[in-house]
Amino acid sequence: MKIISLTLSTLLLSSFAIAKDLKSAVESPDATKILQKDRLPPPKKYSMPKNCITNDKLAIERGKYMFHNLNGKKAKTPPPPGLPKYIVIKGKKVPKQYGNCVACHNIEGAVGPGNIGPDLHNYKKYFIDSGVRDYHFVYQKIADARVDNPKTHMTINLTTGLFTPKEICEITSYVVSQKEKK
Amino acid sequence: MKKLLSLALIGALFSAPGLAQEKLSMTKADRAMYEEMKENNPADIFVEEGAEYLDELGGEETLAKFLGVKEEELPKYIAGFPRYIDKITMVVAIDQMLQAFMYDRGKKPFKLKSTKMDAFSAYVKSLANGEKINIDVNANEHMKKAYKLGKEMFELRRGKRGLSCYSCHSPDVVGLRLRMQILPDLGDPKVKAAATWPAYRMTKGKMFTLQKRFQQCMKNALLAKIPLGSPQMVALEVYITDMAKGQEIEIPGLKR
Ligand code: HEC
Ligand code: HEC
Repeated sequence: MKIISLTLSTLLLSSFAIAKDLKSAVESPDATKILQKDRLPPPKKYSMPKNCITNDKLAIERGKYMFHNLNGKKAKTPPPPGLPKYIVIKGKKVPKQYGNCVACHNIEGAVGPGNIGPDLHNYKKYFIDSGVRDYHFVYQKIADARVDNPKTHMTINLTTGLFTPKEICEITSYVVSQKEKK
Repeated sequence: MKKLLSLALIGALFSAPGLAQEKLSMTKADRAMYEEMKENNPADIFVEEGAEYLDELGGEETLAKFLGVKEEELPKYIAGFPRYIDKITMVVAIDQMLQAFMYDRGKKPFKLKSTKMDAFSAYVKSLANGEKINIDVNANEHMKKAYKLGKEMFELRRGKRGLSCYSCHSPDVVGLRLRMQILPDLGDPKVKAAATWPAYRMTKGKMFTLQKRFQQCMKNALLAKIPLGSPQMVALEVYITDMAKGQEIEIPGLKR
């Protein structure tokens, strides 16, 4: 009787050992920490900095450049003065990320625009001058679109820290600016 | 030789700056090439390489034995991955199951990252070609948990642009254009994503597994890259495989 239970327990034990061993041979790193660091903060309401919306040509150029390009590595033309192609993060040189708004929005002069977001042609005339939108609405939309639409598919640009308030102002200034007929 | 030549050709064509960088969708010429490559998928050689690895370990018979199924049931069983395997005590994708199998056979397992593992898992999945995906996300508590985690992972907004997989693959945006690319519906019978990976990506000139494809979307959308084989990644594979349930497996796939 004793012998039987002994063999039984060794049997059980060894099958347990196999299970443990097999598991140990399988790569299964936990991603919890990576996800925590990558977390998106809750929606945030912003007020516009002073003199945010501008007619300054260079500021609008920078906004335009960020609208139409993905990042400093992919961009084919040099950025306007004041906007870097590469930045240093934790001692490492990395491409500066831009808005890539054109991936989802059509607008004056867009090349290969997407259509996930609304067409922004004539935005000044149809949305601003008509009174449907104001500057602050556009600023908030670009900074954190969840405030206006919790289920938005749009990218979050300020709350994520990808851009500075000044850069959001430049992008906003571009969107609401009077553009060349094209 | 012919294969090698055509491979080099594809490489040259797709690394042409206009194509690769602008990521324009397929031109007429690309489409013609796509049709031709469907007949003669460049990834076939990798899949063949995988057959050798299985042979070295005793072939299908030994694998079936390891998995506790009859050899003729092996294809159907493979069409049900990722699944919970008692003797590994976790939900695993095919590549992880193969790591356990290699270990069991006294071999050092290939790394999940390695192209050897890509080849091996592609071949083993191709044993189920023609079978319908039969993943059972309600099979047990482990699978239920993995499915739930996978859904969370799919919908989790994160990263420097605050995007989730759902931002670009939800029913209300699929079919729309992100730049020049159509957002694919991952469950669409024409896309049947989970049934067609590992696939050859023409734009990259290489074969990738489904989890590696997820990582490409993460990288493009600035989400932190989740490691292969992590419970979160396997859960995502469970969730996306369930979207393609009932669709016929066709390995290796061929993608833009
Ligand atoms: C991944 C897709 C996507 C990207 C990238 C994107 N948007 Fe949007 N955008 C949308 C969608 C969808 C809407 C529709 C409304 C909503 O959900 O907020 C929208 C709405 C807007 C609106 C409001 C239009 C109106 O008056 O109703 C503006 C302005 C705008 N986006 C500007 C931008 C700018 C500038 C960028 C880049 C910094 C950008 N978008 C990037 C998808 C996107
Ligand atoms: C910013 C938009 C965007 C985000 C975010 C995104 N994807 Fe994608 N995904 C795409 C586009 C566009 C394609 C098709 C690309 C092409 O045509 O080559 C694609 C393709 C895929 C495919 C291949 C489909 C096929 O052809 O079989 C899979 C699988 C996939 N995505 C999964 C994911 C997962 C998982 C996530 C989240 C971790 C994710 N995607 C996030 C835009 C996105």
